[in-house]
Amino acid sequence: MFLEYRVEPTASTHDFNRANQMLRAFGYGMVDVAVIGAGQTKYGNHPSGLKGMWAEAAEQAFASVDQNFEPRHVDEAFIGSVAFGGGQLGNTAALLTEHSGLEGIPVRRVENACASSGFALRDAWMAIKSGQADVVVAGGIEKMNDLSAERRRFWLGVSGDTEWERLAGLTFPGTYALMARRHFHEYDSTHDDLVNISVKNHMHGFENEMAHIRKQVSFEKAQSGFMVADPLTLYDCCPTSDGASAVILAADHVVRQFTDDPVWLRSSGAGSDYLALHDRPSITQVKATQQASSAAYKAAGITAADVDLAEVHDCFTIAELMATEDLGFAERGQGGVFAREQRGVRNQGDVCINPSGGLKSKGHPLGATGTGQAVEVFKQLRGSVEDARQVRDAEIGITHNVGGSGATCAVHVFGRDR
Amino acid sequence: MNEVIEWQGYLGMFDENALMMQSPYIHNDVLVFGADSDYTTMAIAGLHLLSSRGIMISEIRSLPLVNPSAVKSATGVTVLCGEEEEACDWNLLVGEEATLVFTNDLERDLGFHGPSELESLDSTFYSDMQAAWEKELSSTHVSQGAYVSEAAYMEGADARLGFMAQSHDHALVWPPRQMDGDGKRLQQANSPLLASAVVESWTKLSAAGAPSEFALRAPVLGGIQTVFVRFEQGPCGVFLVADDEQYEPSIGDQVTFVVRRIYAQEGLIRYGMKAIPASN
Repeated sequence: MFLEYRVEPTASTHDFNRANQMLRAFGYGMVDVAVIGAGQTKYGNHPSGLKGMWAEAAEQAFASVDQNFEPRHVDEAFIGSVAFGGGQLGNTAALLTEHSGLEGIPVRRVENACASSGFALRDAWMAIKSGQADVVVAGGIEKMNDLSAERRRFWLGVSGDTEWERLAGLTFPGTYALMARRHFHEYDSTHDDLVNISVKNHMHGFENEMAHIRKQVSFEKAQSGFMVADPLTLYDCCPTSDGASAVILAADHVVRQFTDDPVWLRSSGAGSDYLALHDRPSITQVKATQQASSAAYKAAGITAADVDLAEVHDCFTIAELMATEDLGFAERGQGGVFAREQRGVRNQGDVCINPSGGLKSKGHPLGATGTGQAVEVFKQLRGSVEDARQVRDAEIGITHNVGGSGATCAVHVFGRDR
Repeated sequence: MNEVIEWQGYLGMFDENALMMQSPYIHNDVLVFGADSDYTTMAIAGLHLLSSRGIMISEIRSLPLVNPSAVKSATGVTVLCGEEEEACDWNLLVGEEATLVFTNDLERDLGFHGPSELESLDSTFYSDMQAAWEKELSSTHVSQGAYVSEAAYMEGADARLGFMAQSHDHALVWPPRQMDGDGKRLQQANSPLLASAVVESWTKLSAAGAPSEFALRAPVLGGIQTVFVRFEQGPCGVFLVADDEQYEPSIGDQVTFVVRRIYAQEGLIRYGMKAIPASN
């Protein structure tokens, strides 16, 4: 370590918040942003290519708007994608939007590894906040299962530190395995705690029609999985999924044209950290998550205790364990205890962690994951998910989307109220 | 009878100032290199051994079987492989088997007594590993591995092979960085980092989970091991464990580092430091 961390809300979020407060004091204010529609493909081995998947997600999102919506209402679009496989590496967004009736508007691909569409959502939120747009589409897409095994293994490692970590044999299973073993060493956590997370997320995802892996897993089975990167087994790792997701945001002054039942996107926080683990002061916490959540909570005027449900970036079970600490649901070092005591189980614990099944069960189509999380929170807060997996009395939900092993992170707070 | 010195995974024997290095492995009665070694890595180990005995070399003449830039980055020694006529006191003699001799007197008859026992490599392991490297090095093999271009590799070579760190704010920075938090460029990496560290975490990737650049060799090795270490002087790093080491790391282990092959791409072998237990 040689540069000190600055764990503070990011300047941009801070400035928005401060500026908004000042403007409101004078009777003006930045616009509030609502989610008026959201949709996604089923995650997994999708039969369509990029264009077909995006059209499916966009169609679902358009159809979910309660009234009067047409693509021509959209002012701008941001689409997150790693462009896995390199099939349409350049101008991805232009290609996709022309196949969903959105041609002619400003579009761009947003790339921040697995947090690509979390940042696309943030960009969309900022576009409305700044007054540049009234209706914006944020989405994400990834096609991962049409490559040879060797090409896929290459692409799975492109978002880590290439020069040092990759040449030390590390892709993400390896980096997260290093974090897990160190967490076990420093704190009261064990592999069984990770097993509890895996079992929970499979249980949550079992009822989710959009999930990639819809099967429950016993504790014993998850405990004895094939070792991928010691101490992480197959049951600690998310699948590689195809998928696309899209949400439609609208400024408060146009929301009522489209719905009487909006979900408010109350705040957006983001942070970043050193790309490689060896440059970080600690490998048992993710500072980018701490920065992003701290900024998002502050801007929304909430604390972690107010959150009813959280879509958490559990690319590996240890990532969820550490996130429960970094997001403030558990004290530092107590993520294992949190999992052991089932405090993230739907309608049972303090807060429902990953009601969709998370990346572990719902799946992880890299660029689509962030806005896919937003689709879940939107539906949960509107009470429109399958009955069996509805989080009761949910008022506030968050999404937590991480790039790589924690180099980037976006956290969003959604609420029934503004 | 000379002493046989176990050194960085090889065996060294002195005859006055001359040094013979050899591999500890034998296959069908022939000395052979281990899983990630070659003449270059053994030459680097030999130069380190000579240096540790106070024998400092600035230039050495050799057949073109060692990689001069890797040796230079790892040891500071210039290897003359061409037809140059410049005077050069030291010669590196490359044996037909996995042996090297460093000598500054080509006229003198040298005598080395090797160890009585060597480790015999399993035939299947040896042939599979040879085949994997041969394929990896062939011009027709297109690796899907991490693309560290030759330029990027060479830019970091002194830090990678010679543990050269930057001195900044009374601390060492390694691997090197470009700018600090005040927006100022850091100095060039010219402060040596001691090759002594403690394991803070480790993992073993299964062959199926190994990155694609290791895909040919990981199944032969039964997976690849990586350690996350903290150096005595502060910086942290991640390293593969040397492939020949029968070593399962533990948190708190003391380790040191040796130069080995990492992987090959576009016909160029990328060398780097790998970890071995400090007791070695």
